[in-house]
Amino acid sequence: MITLGQYINNNSFGHRLDARVKILATVILSLLIFQARGWEIFLISSFVFIVCFICRLNFFSIWKALQPLVWFAVLLFALHLFFTDGTVLFTAPYLPVEITAEGLSRGLIIAWQFIALALCGVLLTMVTSPSDLVHGLTYLLGPLKYLRVPVQDIAVMVSMSLRFVPTLLEEYDRIKQAQIARGSAIETGRPARKIKSLAALIIPLMVSAFRRADDLTEAMEARGYARGPRTTLNQQHFGREEVFALLVLGVLLSLVLTSQFLRAPFP
Amino acid sequence: MNKTPEKTSLRGMAYASMFSALMAIGAYIMIPLPPVPITMQTLFVMLSGALLGGYLGALSQIGYILLGIIGLPVFAGGRAGIGVLIGPTGGYLIGFVAGAFILGKLTSLRRDPGVFWLMGAITAGMIVVYTLGIIQLMIVAKLSFLKAVSVGLLPPLPGDAAKIIAASLICRKIRRHIFNRI
Repeated sequence: MITLGQYINNNSFGHRLDARVKILATVILSLLIFQARGWEIFLISSFVFIVCFICRLNFFSIWKALQPLVWFAVLLFALHLFFTDGTVLFTAPYLPVEITAEGLSRGLIIAWQFIALALCGVLLTMVTSPSDLVHGLTYLLGPLKYLRVPVQDIAVMVSMSLRFVPTLLEEYDRIKQAQIARGSAIETGRPARKIKSLAALIIPLMVSAFRRADDLTEAMEARGYARGPRTTLNQQHFGREEVFALLVLGVLLSLVLTSQFLRAPFP
Repeated sequence: MNKTPEKTSLRGMAYASMFSALMAIGAYIMIPLPPVPITMQTLFVMLSGALLGGYLGALSQIGYILLGIIGLPVFAGGRAGIGVLIGPTGGYLIGFVAGAFILGKLTSLRRDPGVFWLMGAITAGMIVVYTLGIIQLMIVAKLSFLKAVSVGLLPPLPGDAAKIIAASLICRKIRRHIFNRI
């Protein structure tokens, strides 16, 4: 699961683009995806496909990243398909199930939203290295430091937890197998026993996680980690390519907003 | 644990970021309990506040939300992106921050909180989480109060009651491992 959208090193327009612009684009796209109806769906989909093409990502790796989510999308689709009231299109023989026009369209839209959102996230993480992402995010959250939010500390924390996630996931799998081998009732058994075996799962996981955090702290202190503004290997840059990307994004945004405004003018 | 923001130690930061990672994993740890399968996320919200204190607990939840915003599929159901935060269930995520802060503050009122004090503090924190969650659910999904409660509060309630008990017990066991270290 955690291999989802791992960074693929390459040199394309999408890879070179500044992380701040890419984060901003993802945020705007995910807002648009939530509002999209009708032909805007095709507009946004084709935009995302063009971006995939520009970033020189092969479709196999994208498919591999999205595969685990496709089943969830199908489930969401089925949920809306079968449980929405409206005009009946089709009644399944022998089953108390009716397929309605509203259910079909809503299910399609929800499934599309889900996949499109996931695709945007996957794209961002595939073309941006985690350290660039964190750096860009720190910049974008920068104004919060006037509210006494420790933005620098949060940035360091996010990059630390990025590092912790795969390790802890592996650790969790190992502990779970070990407990099941010892006869843990985590998947069978009555609720009261499940809670007990849950504790037998969580406590070792947390103790091991605290130990890892201790190791990391000592390693960082030994290397002379100091608080405060940090520098990075790759400087952030804002050049012609970034302006171009923002312009394209602006065009897309205004197209979708115009279409929405035409459909439902403000009262 | 009454420390000013400037004085959070590096170790505290490492613990908090570890809790962000645990939150991310918690979305995938599912226990099949009736009526709905429960995830371990709220358990880690409770533990982050109860073990790290209010300030670091809230920071760990902010870190978790940021992990989701930069595109890691760490929100419930494998979702990601800023859209989730402003979507119908986003109030719970904001509630995680506020809830962890409040239950952490309540926990650190006592030097060595007992199981019942912990349960009370955690329950108060969870009330904050669900209040914020239901308010946003009502606003974004345009549901009436009763409908929002029946969708957003009743299904996870039995699981959460069990988790409050489990969290208090786990906290009592683990607390001495990290006490005096942060």
